[in-house]
Amino acid sequence: MGWLYWFASYEHTKPLAMVILFVTFVGIVIYVYGSKKRGERLETYKDIPFLDDDETKMREDKK
Amino acid sequence: MSTTEISSNEQYNFDIVRRFSFMAVLWGLIGMSIGVWIASELAWPFMNFDIPYITFGRFRPAHTTTVIFGFGGSALFATSYYIVQRTCQTRLISDFMANFTFWGWTAAVALADITYMLGYTQSREYAEMEWPLDILVEVVWVAYMAVFIGTIMKRKQPHIYVANWFYLSFILATALLHTFNNLAVPISLFSMKSYSLFAGTQDAMTQWWYGHNAVGFFLTAAFLGMMYYFVPKQAGRPVYSYRLSIVHFWALSFLYMWVGAHHLHWTALPDWTSTLAATFSIMLLLPSWGGMINGIMTLSGAWDKLRTDPIMRFLIVALSFYGMSTFEGPLMALKDVNALSHYTDWTVGHVHSGALGWVAMVSFGSLYHMIPRVWNTKIWSEKLIGIHFWLATIGVLLYITAMWISGITQGLMWRAFDQYGNLQYSFVESVAAMHPLYAMRAIGGMFYVTGMLLMFINIVMTIRQGNKAPVAVPVMTVAHA
Amino acid sequence: MFKHEWLETNIGLLSVMTMIAISIGGLVEIAPLFFIKDTVEKVDGVRPYTPLELRGRDIYQREGCYLCHSQMIRPFRDEALRYGHYSLAAESQYDHPFQWGSKRTGPDLARVGKKYSNEWMTQHLVAPRSLVPESVMPNFPWLLTTQLDISDVEDRMKALRTTGVPYSLTKAEYDANVKKFGKETADMLDINKARQNLIKQAEEGNYDGDRSNISEMDALVAYLQVLGTMVDFSKYNDDEFVKYR
Repeated sequence: MGWLYWFASYEHTKPLAMVILFVTFVGIVIYVYGSKKRGERLETYKDIPFLDDDETKMREDKK
Repeated sequence: MSTTEISSNEQYNFDIVRRFSFMAVLWGLIGMSIGVWIASELAWPFMNFDIPYITFGRFRPAHTTTVIFGFGGSALFATSYYIVQRTCQTRLISDFMANFTFWGWTAAVALADITYMLGYTQSREYAEMEWPLDILVEVVWVAYMAVFIGTIMKRKQPHIYVANWFYLSFILATALLHTFNNLAVPISLFSMKSYSLFAGTQDAMTQWWYGHNAVGFFLTAAFLGMMYYFVPKQAGRPVYSYRLSIVHFWALSFLYMWVGAHHLHWTALPDWTSTLAATFSIMLLLPSWGGMINGIMTLSGAWDKLRTDPIMRFLIVALSFYGMSTFEGPLMALKDVNALSHYTDWTVGHVHSGALGWVAMVSFGSLYHMIPRVWNTKIWSEKLIGIHFWLATIGVLLYITAMWISGITQGLMWRAFDQYGNLQYSFVESVAAMHPLYAMRAIGGMFYVTGMLLMFINIVMTIRQGNKAPVAVPVMTVAHA
Repeated sequence: MFKHEWLETNIGLLSVMTMIAISIGGLVEIAPLFFIKDTVEKVDGVRPYTPLELRGRDIYQREGCYLCHSQMIRPFRDEALRYGHYSLAAESQYDHPFQWGSKRTGPDLARVGKKYSNEWMTQHLVAPRSLVPESVMPNFPWLLTTQLDISDVEDRMKALRTTGVPYSLTKAEYDANVKKFGKETADMLDINKARQNLIKQAEEGNYDGDRSNISEMDALVAYLQVLGTMVDFSKYNDDEFVKYR
């Protein structure tokens, strides 16, 4: 269990947390915004709530 | 048209949604009324009436449990069962298990209230239920997880809609938090009493890891799931940016768990833990505001709905309060600000701007949208929704203004020194100074409960109307995209 | 290559990744607290509660006192003047659960012990406004009229023993306690003598001013009177505890 002591000081934990966080975050952002095609695919999912619908008709009427 | 009700009932299990939504409204009314009562006890102590069962110390857990788990929890069960079915276009995997979650959950909340009033409590804030009830909740939660994940597994849509991600993280996180924070040793198999497994510092850290993440996942992530479905539906337009919602989800899930220790600044908890928590609290501002912007911008181009549609108003004002509380939160997590704000009413005000402003308002909007649909009717009175909105808004504003003033006053009075370097005020002088503000808070609460009462009436009438004669609504059809 | 699309379409994988994301924070912050020796400093004097104090603590919990009173003094000048030396982690090392609290509707109680007389405490609990007119504390008259239930005090101590509190059941445990706390304290921590110890302390202490019976008030006042009194701070330098913060 000795390795746990390493986490015990925030001189260690803070940079480590920052690195983990930053890498993951950048990874996700690159994934999400990196490719235009992928972006377009992702954006199509926003219509899912409207696919099964009692209101689809009403919505189209308004357009 | 006569086939509508049957077909939607066969396609989806709306029974369970109906039960939970009704209980949400009822628990809301009960829990908020208890809230007003205990607020009045602080303003006018005779209200305790020397009755042990309703004394502040025993009644307050009944208030928090009824509103968080009764009202909030039931609203989450209802909306998650509704959303998961509709976005996966499939029926819940098991009606039996879903019903079990309903009876189990409702019984747990009711028994919790009764046992608190009888004096059984773990004395862990927002986790006061004693061990037998904890076990009941655990079993219900596993069943809930099974129903939710099982339903997603048999979905007809390849993609899992983002609202379900938020509900999923809420279900998983709550399971984790509930399990570890309630580790305790009962004094005997036939006694309600138990002692927590951990002590002192470790126990405090575990409890506030739970306490803050109950807010983060139970009262935030899950209600964001609600937001990601009902705001687009009510606005009649898809969410502003789906990609932002993905970033929002991962950032929020990751960051939240780090911040609990900001409840323990300047205590005997080691410094590094609370400093780490403060740092993450600041970072948490980004996903919180990302989500808020995503929700509000969904309405861009249809702002006129704010004038005409009271449900939309509930949803958008809820998001505004969410934005405000998630700005205030990181501010209060700064160690220097916390030195002033901790132990004062400022914290109470902050919680309520989140709870009344964000959680309750987004639930009101969602329930007003959903209830007529699952009962196959129209809302009984649109006008009452409008009145409810104003009562609720005035109520929250009175409440949080009172608590800001009293919190900051307390903080300043406690640390004030006179010219000789002695404490300027005795503690009880600060108590006396709070009296008008406690009264103002109770009055704010009364406004809010009155709104809740109107909602209860409106919902009961809507249900009666729905049960009597279903009015014509558009046929439920599944579009194959 | 890893694809986020797998997550979006696979509930199992999405669950696992979410679980990882939400677990890291708790793991990094909580787990070390159980292993680091600095978390709880070494201080003389801190001992588990006597049976009577323990029952008093149970009542403190039952009545929800923690909702308005903290037991955690922060290291600020005003708190030092108002309440005393800031609280140490060691002082709550036997507190299952902790009672640090989160709100001061009333004052901090971490060092309230011995500051007021038993008579004052009892009167204040029965009718706070008779002594402090501005107080908003509820009256707790039933504490004085309710007989203290001592039937399961052994069970309570045994449960706490399971969690690691050094209440002794065996001779070996008792001897260890004598070594650690001294004979007088070790006797009080002996589960086999719990009931007689409780009665003895209540009668000798006469906390509620009525020797004829042991009320819940006896227990609660006994508990309040011991709060913060276990460590003798005059024995330590002012900066003795700074390194643990």
